[in-house]
Amino acid sequence: MTRVRIGSAGVSLPAWWQWRKGSVAHAVTAGLRCLAASHHRSADVGVLVSAGIYRDGHVAEPAIAAYIQHRLGINIEFQGRATLSFDLLNGGCGMLNAAQVVGAMLQSGQIEAGMVVAGEANSDRRPDPSSAVTRSGAALLLDLSPRAGTGFGAFAFRTHEGDGDLFTAVVSLAEPRGHLLIRRHARLEEAWLDHAAAAVDEALEREGLTCDRIDLVIPAQISTGFLSRLPAVIGVPAAKVVNFTANLQDTGSTSVFIAWHRLCAERRPSAGTRVLFLVFGSGLTVGAAIYTV
Amino acid sequence: MLEGTGAGVLVTGGTGYFGARLVQALRARGARLAAGQPVRHRKGKAGMRAAPLKVRIESLGVYLPETVLTTAALMDRCRRRPRLDLETITGIRERRVAVGEHALELAVHSAERALALSRYRAEDLDAVICTSISKHHRDGEFTFEPATAVLVRKAIGASRALVFDVVNACAGMLNGIAVLQALIRTGVVRNGMVVSGEQNLPLAESATREIRHSLDRQLAALTLGDAGAALILDAATDARHGIHHLDLVTGAKHDHYCRSLPSPRGSGGILLTKARGLQRKGAEHFPVYLKRALDATGWSIADLQHVIPHQVSVRAVRQGVKALARYFGCEMPDIFLCNAETCGNTTTTSHFVALHEFMLSGRVNPGDNLLLVSGASGIVISHATMTLDDLPERYRALWGSGAGVAS
Repeated sequence: MTRVRIGSAGVSLPAWWQWRKGSVAHAVTAGLRCLAASHHRSADVGVLVSAGIYRDGHVAEPAIAAYIQHRLGINIEFQGRATLSFDLLNGGCGMLNAAQVVGAMLQSGQIEAGMVVAGEANSDRRPDPSSAVTRSGAALLLDLSPRAGTGFGAFAFRTHEGDGDLFTAVVSLAEPRGHLLIRRHARLEEAWLDHAAAAVDEALEREGLTCDRIDLVIPAQISTGFLSRLPAVIGVPAAKVVNFTANLQDTGSTSVFIAWHRLCAERRPSAGTRVLFLVFGSGLTVGAAIYTV
Repeated sequence: MLEGTGAGVLVTGGTGYFGARLVQALRARGARLAAGQPVRHRKGKAGMRAAPLKVRIESLGVYLPETVLTTAALMDRCRRRPRLDLETITGIRERRVAVGEHALELAVHSAERALALSRYRAEDLDAVICTSISKHHRDGEFTFEPATAVLVRKAIGASRALVFDVVNACAGMLNGIAVLQALIRTGVVRNGMVVSGEQNLPLAESATREIRHSLDRQLAALTLGDAGAALILDAATDARHGIHHLDLVTGAKHDHYCRSLPSPRGSGGILLTKARGLQRKGAEHFPVYLKRALDATGWSIADLQHVIPHQVSVRAVRQGVKALARYFGCEMPDIFLCNAETCGNTTTTSHFVALHEFMLSGRVNPGDNLLLVSGASGIVISHATMTLDDLPERYRALWGSGAGVAS
């Protein structure tokens, strides 16, 4: 089956002067940059999936993806070409889940190109100090790879619901406009590390690879301490793990593809490079995907 | 320039720039065919591809809470009672409401019922996709993390399932089916569950506190009801049965007609709807997509045994039928199923609550051709054509037949 590749990527990075910029605005900025870098026209996008977790105004309906589609100007009227927009929520793993779903839609011939976007921001007027969200956006444009063997290979998601209470995010409706409350347990990073190896092993097994065949690991940029312990857990040399935590904060669902975008900007991986994307989300879920450049 | 007929084409030469390009393209295509490599077809030549794997509804589970709340009783709760007869306008007499239960429990109960009818056990499920809009899992809270699908997976014991939530307003379950269909077709999963639990009572309660007049945008919240629905999908074993065509389209220019968010005036969530505009836009555009869905399936209206519209209200369903009659230029047959009178608008679950009721009453039978029509905020227009296998018979055998709505 033809593989699915990242045709282009765009990001909207955290910046202190954009302290009021909402999640939709960040997603739209990233989406516009992604479309500008692509050879596809915006009208080619058949599916737009928003994987951002936290929403402007804590809107439950309509799908945030519809707002993003509207502001990106992708087939917004009921005439001519059509686009389906919907939200896919799975915490920090959402963008990778969405990439797999859009990939399946591409491979089943439903669409020509698909877009995965995410924007993160806590839109509360007075945010809870422990519920800070680094504002950011990321977007990917996916299409079928023209070269055999390149693009996304195996995906693996391992959920351990027994540890689900370690990371929760709820909107309290007790006060006007709602109030976002994010609770991260002190043992959260430990639990993610405990489950990381199983997800990586499953992805490698499905792809028929061993750990030493991986050239680069791009994990969500959780923290410096977390990434320093990750190589030993998954059995990969530390030099292969992309670590931008010195000047890039954890941005939730957008983190892994912001890291990918920065890596491509600094030194584009050469053709044939095997990349392992690694994401960590609530649930607890750890996701892994093999990608050949 | 080109000689021969049928599949064989002899490329002899070209004139001018475009002629040369055409010859070049045809030679490249011939070379690919000779090498046994796939040839990329232009759009509109779907007939040259192998038919995609068909997906069917293997099992259905619906859970309706026991408590019945009449429209009259709900209107009596309003602090400032609007001067209109909501029951007459909408045709909704009563709805089920979850008291002492939350959206998660509604989803879990329906998932358990779907498993009771299914040949799959929970641990056999490869995916659980939750499509609820209302993520009220505790009083006064709306949960974003973890995903509701994780909580459903934990409750039913689907220990190896891929889980995530798909949210697309009232089109959520059809959207979930579209996602699961793509995953099954590409072999990512073999089967999966699409589940939704909708607890809309908190929105109705906010409306009773905040409605100020007869044209208030929160009036639509008084038409909502609570329900849970779950489907188990797998690959169809018989090409005659299953989902033939499913399309969803978002007209994002109209994203302002309906939205749900925390109240700016007090506690709880609210639903703000420009009901008339939403219905007008929907009626303007959905017949075109309905016709396309029928054409793509190779059906006409006469081939349908039932149409299940989104159960917004009895009046909205009738308006939709009128819009279709105008578009097709003929009277519509009596094939439109509506149970909004007794269940209200149960948002994402409404099609399957209706299917549940009409399967139990014996109106929907094995081999029936169905068309599901949905209009959701966004605006999302969706249509699904399907032929049922022996599901109605199995459903009646498990849950008993009768005219009433079994909970």
